[in-house]
Amino acid sequence: MSMGNVLLETRKLSNWFGKICTARELDLAFEEGVLTSIIGPNGAGKSTLVNLLTGNLPVQAGSVLFRGKDITRFPIHKRVRMGVCRSFQILNIFPQLSVLRNVMIPVLARSGRSMRPFAGISGEKAVLRESEELLEKVGLSRVRDSVAGALSHGDQRLLEVGVALAAAPVLLFLDEPTAGMNPVERVRLLESIRELSRGGRSTFVLIEHDMDIVFSLSDRVIVLHRGEVIGDGPPDEIRENARVREVYLGDEMTDVFRITGEE
Amino acid sequence: MPDDRVTGRLLRAIAVLAFVAALASVPLFAGKFVIYLAMRVMILGIFALGYNLLLGGTGLLSFGHGAFYAAGAYGLGFFSLHLSPNPLLGVAAGIAAAMLLALLIGFFSVRSTEIYFAMLTLAFGMMVFSLIWNARDITGGDDGLIGIMRESIPLFGGVKISISQDSRYYFLVLFFFLLSFWAVHRIRNSPFGLVLAGIRENAKRTEFAGLAVRNYRLAAFVISGAFAGLAGSLETLLESNARPFMAHWTHSAEPVLVSLLGGIQTLTGPVVGSILFVAMREIVQRFTENWMLWFGIVLLVIIMGFRGGVVGVVRQLADRARGPRGG
Repeated sequence: MSMGNVLLETRKLSNWFGKICTARELDLAFEEGVLTSIIGPNGAGKSTLVNLLTGNLPVQAGSVLFRGKDITRFPIHKRVRMGVCRSFQILNIFPQLSVLRNVMIPVLARSGRSMRPFAGISGEKAVLRESEELLEKVGLSRVRDSVAGALSHGDQRLLEVGVALAAAPVLLFLDEPTAGMNPVERVRLLESIRELSRGGRSTFVLIEHDMDIVFSLSDRVIVLHRGEVIGDGPPDEIRENARVREVYLGDEMTDVFRITGEE
Repeated sequence: MPDDRVTGRLLRAIAVLAFVAALASVPLFAGKFVIYLAMRVMILGIFALGYNLLLGGTGLLSFGHGAFYAAGAYGLGFFSLHLSPNPLLGVAAGIAAAMLLALLIGFFSVRSTEIYFAMLTLAFGMMVFSLIWNARDITGGDDGLIGIMRESIPLFGGVKISISQDSRYYFLVLFFFLLSFWAVHRIRNSPFGLVLAGIRENAKRTEFAGLAVRNYRLAAFVISGAFAGLAGSLETLLESNARPFMAHWTHSAEPVLVSLLGGIQTLTGPVVGSILFVAMREIVQRFTENWMLWFGIVLLVIIMGFRGGVVGVVRQLADRARGPRGG
């Protein structure tokens, strides 16, 4: 694992829902090329953190920097243009549009041709080609003309990741990308994530529940608990971390820790 | 499959040509009243076609488009009474006035969505109506702007085309109707149209595609306002007056009803809806004063039973008749 440039940084980032603190003065940095996973029990603040970083939630206190530039108050679309994108835990695709058109929208956005009202969409050859290549990459070419909402759940999850990838992000947050997938689909998607991560174009940050995935895939694991970081380091280190074990004790995750620990 | 697509395109081209030919031949065969009704259909069609870019295209329900219709009408009226009677310049002035007003109202309205957006546009529309109603000295109040003449259209070299007769003015309306139809068709199939569809389907995801959703909503709002302005200015030339009730919310509801009747997810839906709307109004009004009651019943049936509108239902039936070949 080489030390890359810092892409995204938080400074004393905080968030509350009423009296419940979901992020407490977080100082985190995400480096280029480091596949990171964020784990933690339910309500630990994982999704909140991603929401804050991607602009989906307004920041209440603290700041967010991208490549040294303060983006705390930037709207979503501006962050995406800079290279910070995400997928969602709950499917967030364009259900009535074809699979191809789903990925075309982010590609069009990057091409700077999305404001053209009288040009034919079929004339956008470069955008079409890039969109088709992307579908090839995530393994959805076979259904390119199907309506997205009619796909199997697994394929819709693939498309969710595909649409996020289509924005050509520098840093991509995947919020439980394999939720509800069967084991075969799950392995397939993780293989593609690993491959894409090695490709080096995008840096991935995963939010995952499945510890097998987390420990086999990640270079770095961040453990959140009640809005605080209680563990941050390579998977082996996290596995041995006493505080992390304590938090997960009594949770169903304990078994998973033991099993993966014995591997 | 490719054969299907080619024959489909051919059939569509033939249908369009037949439709245009039928429309163009109306003044040759039909009487004055039918010519007049056909113009009313086309003007309502322009209004609804543009409006549906917003409703069916972007997923925004506006109840204030009567204001832009009126802006087009009064824009043309003022221009023609005070500056120049040239009808084409007047129409351009009407469209410009409507777009300006749409930009202003849209700027504040597109910040909200769904019911809040609908209510904001309704409130702005009512404000425009009462402004027109109360500014008697300028707008003529409840009398409206009257005495707007349909002057000849000057061409190059001193040639003029007279449009004072309805059977001639008809062709100007037809021209703008076809132009609007073509423009809306192009917009629906453009990159911009795809972004609008994305916003309709999932605004959040569209933002995460890196697009400033609010700007696109505003653009769609202004474009649909332009069509409303065009329709308003054409009606003013037809009736030789502009009336405050053009801005009334009951008039704003017309393109909504027409689009729903015809089918909001189709290009032709608003046009078919306009034909049915005007035809029903004329026919039912002969038998009863309460034509809105009957129209309401028809709309109820459409909404409860046939979500896709008339065009949607016809398309489904055609697909079924073609058999389960798919594609």
